[in-house]
Amino acid sequence: MNGLRGISARRVAGLQKIKPDRPRIAVGLATCGTAVGGDRVYRRLQEVIENSGDDIMLTKTGCMGYCREEPLVNVTIPGKPLVVLHGVSTDDADEIVRAVRAGKVPYDRVLCQIPSWDHMSGTTIEYGRGFDQVPPYEDVPFFSHQKKVVLRNTGFINPEDLDEYLAVGGYAAAKKALTEMTPDAVIVEVERSGLRGRGGAGFPTGLKWRIAKKETGDQKYVICNADEGDPGAYMNRNEMESDPHMLVEGMIIGAYAVGAGEGLIYLRAEYPLAIKRLELAISEARTCGLLGKDIFDTGFDFDIRIVTGAGAFVCGESTALVASIEGKTGRPHPRPPRLTDLGGGLWGRPTVLNNVETWCNVPVIIQNGGDWFAEIGTEKNTGTKVFSLVGAVDRVGLVEVPLGTSLNTIVYEIGNGGANGKNVKAVQTGGPSGGCIPTRLFDMPMDYESLNRVGSIMGSGGIVVMDEETNMVDIARYFINFATGESCGKCVPCREGLKHTLLLLNKIMAGKGKENDLETLELLADTIKKTSLCGLGQSAPNPVLTTLAYFREEYDARVRR
Amino acid sequence: MTYGEVGRRDQPEKPITILINGKKCMAREGEIVLSVALREGVAIPHLCYEASLEPYGGCRLCMVEATDHGRTSMTTACSLRATEGLEVCTDTPEVVKYRNVLFELYLAEAPKSETIKEMAARYGVTKTSFLKKIDIEDALGGKCVLCGLCVRVCTEIMGAGAINFINRGPYTVVNTPYFEANTDCLGCGACANVCPTHAIQIEDRNGERVLHSWGGIKIPLKRCSSCGKYYTPEALAVSVQNTLMPPIRSDLAGFCPACRAKKCADMEIRAHMKTEGEGNHV
Amino acid sequence: MDEKTLDEIISRYDSPSGRLLGILEEIQTSEGYIPRDVLEMLSVKLDVRLSQLYSLVTFYSFFSLKPIGEHVVTVCMGTACHVRGAAEILTTLEKLLGIERGTTQDGKYSVTTKDNKFTLEIARCFGACSIAPVIDIDGDLYGYTTPERLPEILEDYGWREP
Repeated sequence: MNGLRGISARRVAGLQKIKPDRPRIAVGLATCGTAVGGDRVYRRLQEVIENSGDDIMLTKTGCMGYCREEPLVNVTIPGKPLVVLHGVSTDDADEIVRAVRAGKVPYDRVLCQIPSWDHMSGTTIEYGRGFDQVPPYEDVPFFSHQKKVVLRNTGFINPEDLDEYLAVGGYAAAKKALTEMTPDAVIVEVERSGLRGRGGAGFPTGLKWRIAKKETGDQKYVICNADEGDPGAYMNRNEMESDPHMLVEGMIIGAYAVGAGEGLIYLRAEYPLAIKRLELAISEARTCGLLGKDIFDTGFDFDIRIVTGAGAFVCGESTALVASIEGKTGRPHPRPPRLTDLGGGLWGRPTVLNNVETWCNVPVIIQNGGDWFAEIGTEKNTGTKVFSLVGAVDRVGLVEVPLGTSLNTIVYEIGNGGANGKNVKAVQTGGPSGGCIPTRLFDMPMDYESLNRVGSIMGSGGIVVMDEETNMVDIARYFINFATGESCGKCVPCREGLKHTLLLLNKIMAGKGKENDLETLELLADTIKKTSLCGLGQSAPNPVLTTLAYFREEYDARVRR
Repeated sequence: MTYGEVGRRDQPEKPITILINGKKCMAREGEIVLSVALREGVAIPHLCYEASLEPYGGCRLCMVEATDHGRTSMTTACSLRATEGLEVCTDTPEVVKYRNVLFELYLAEAPKSETIKEMAARYGVTKTSFLKKIDIEDALGGKCVLCGLCVRVCTEIMGAGAINFINRGPYTVVNTPYFEANTDCLGCGACANVCPTHAIQIEDRNGERVLHSWGGIKIPLKRCSSCGKYYTPEALAVSVQNTLMPPIRSDLAGFCPACRAKKCADMEIRAHMKTEGEGNHV
Repeated sequence: MDEKTLDEIISRYDSPSGRLLGILEEIQTSEGYIPRDVLEMLSVKLDVRLSQLYSLVTFYSFFSLKPIGEHVVTVCMGTACHVRGAAEILTTLEKLLGIERGTTQDGKYSVTTKDNKFTLEIARCFGACSIAPVIDIDGDLYGYTTPERLPEILEDYGWREP
């Protein structure tokens, strides 16, 4: 029977892999874990286990997000809690295997223990009790303020194995949506959740789906924007590398809701591991009848294909992204028509475009209900957001917190302030189009409106920390240089305006600026923001405008009077 | 399917009234406001708009302030569609402020263009505070403002696709692939005709058309088989003959428009006289 | 690239969505750049104007019109890397490889050494911000790089101190 092709058997098999009746060692192998030696640790562990002949299962997982402490290795011994080891090197392999063989863990490498984990899909994995001297997960300051919803599976399951995703309740939400709910009921649930687009603009997801559903036409598309281009943001990469099926499941549900037969994931070529794991996830889902014809015997047909981007930041803009898939240069079009309109989307068909993280939020909303989701965060900013906390911060990593959490909590309590004992001066949120926020505003909640009020944006959720040694004029120049290089060149304020902004900033940095250059700079930045064709130009001046507003003295110090 | 088809779908012929600078203007619902303004004699500066092409929104000079159902925003008149009760203002202090900066940017980008200088001067902008772009190797002589009209006309109207945008951002230029002569060009010259800043250099000499700006493409000109004058590029004549349905009658195909008209008139008269003559016999 | 290989690549794309960029990416990956004869061949096979293909190739930074060196060193210029000293990494690499900076006419940063051994490029962000600053050599990521560590890394790719 289609849609049930061995799924229950695979779920049982998956549970056996997550909680086997023998010890299990899992190495965190997302891109960053691999780059700092995770793959060497994996190979060394493999050698040691083969040589010793121990009955130990060695596997891989995604990334738990505590990037500073990587490589991370999880150890589970039957009946005992899952123990997270951190900063593991190849030299530790012998010791780890020796300890595990003896039913122990290497104490000098332990970070924390997790006795049970709720996967928020009706499935809680009970690992066991013991290792009392190992601190519980909740006591690790990096984790204690977090609420993992989107990242609930990352670091626990093997992203290259559908069995494990099924074992933690995967595809139950898709089954529920397709077999128990009408498309309208799915949309109502997403509307009740208050979910807003995680790509930056914060458009209500349910409303977008409703508009697309109303449109007629022979074919509709759902697209995932995985062209994560904001420098300093890598949550989407981790979401795809660590839990690819969650994205696939979200897209199945969305496609069912709006009546789309084809899904596309527009993924940047710079993420080869994400491409590989998603390709595998899609093909496994196809084998099981979770994609393809007559999914769950409902008569609903849907399939997903991956399209790789070719290196253009502007393709994050929706009309440019669609143009790119159609084989054109990524030059945005005036809107309307919107993508959801007939005539406005891919090949003229109504199209729903959502960010990776938006899609990833869908299964948990369907599983637990919109009201459950709306309880998280604040009234107009529901749910959680994954932020990448990077730059000159002590605890670098991916941080998932309820929307509305203050910057103070994120930077100081989770991030432990500046790296190497230096003082934090500002953060830059929202990628190159965001603004620089000074520490005195850090009690502000991280939500869409508050960020706009201070001249920044949510963007995809990058938080780059800058310390006292950072020169804010240089930072503004850095971002304008980036935006100039990524401008598509279609409209004059962005193409020419950004170029002249850069020339002015270079002049000021070289100490050759005059006071009226600052006035020109401000007027030019304002003009670009107000008159550009698309979001790239409209937001590109934000770093200049915010540093002029909050760090004016650094500009004044560099211009001649 | 192209982007504009939605506009057409939303375009019933319902007459409505909109206000432009306080003046009541008749428009069709969904009609492009820039086109309404131009018809009504309201001057709005623009470089990239052409009625026969899809709205492009590149030059940004047609920025206006629009109030629709109590919501006011700044937008381009070329992408704004008329709705009942829409109010448009073309010269609020804000619009003027930003438009002036845009003119300054154009003066810096195309310092050799008289069109830009004249247009900017009409709006009181005579100098730019920005560094002028000087490129002695520029095939378009420092006059191109990248409005894209030539590219769009070449591709969408002529179906030739000989030129396109190259590079991106501030490095964007328009030219042929590899900046060399190519065989896709029909030599029609539509690009030069549509160019608002007269940046494209084309010359007819010694029986051929030379497209100096496009890698020096040379297209032989065709002589009229009647009067012997050069009248069209060979490639264009072939393309037209292949596209027209039904094609031009073979005995007229080699004639220039003037001779064709003469020949047609001649044939009409002969035919007429013949009928008249026949009639006289009755 | 011969005609048969190109035909094989083209045949793998059964949907128009993502087809053109996908084919060009495969050519870039296999040849290291987009050779003119291949682009012209593609134009004929797909009945797409050469001007459109050329426009695509010069718009997207993934493509290059010039042949690249044996090894490609890419410096991440993302924000986290910038804050942690990517500019210094780039200048050090330029010095070590004997490359002079200068923006090319198309605005892309891509310089190849005279002996054709190394091509130095920059990227907007690898998304490996947690281990900044990052460089990539032939697909292998190196995190926490410092100017001092660079010679040792390059030596693995056959670089020798001049």
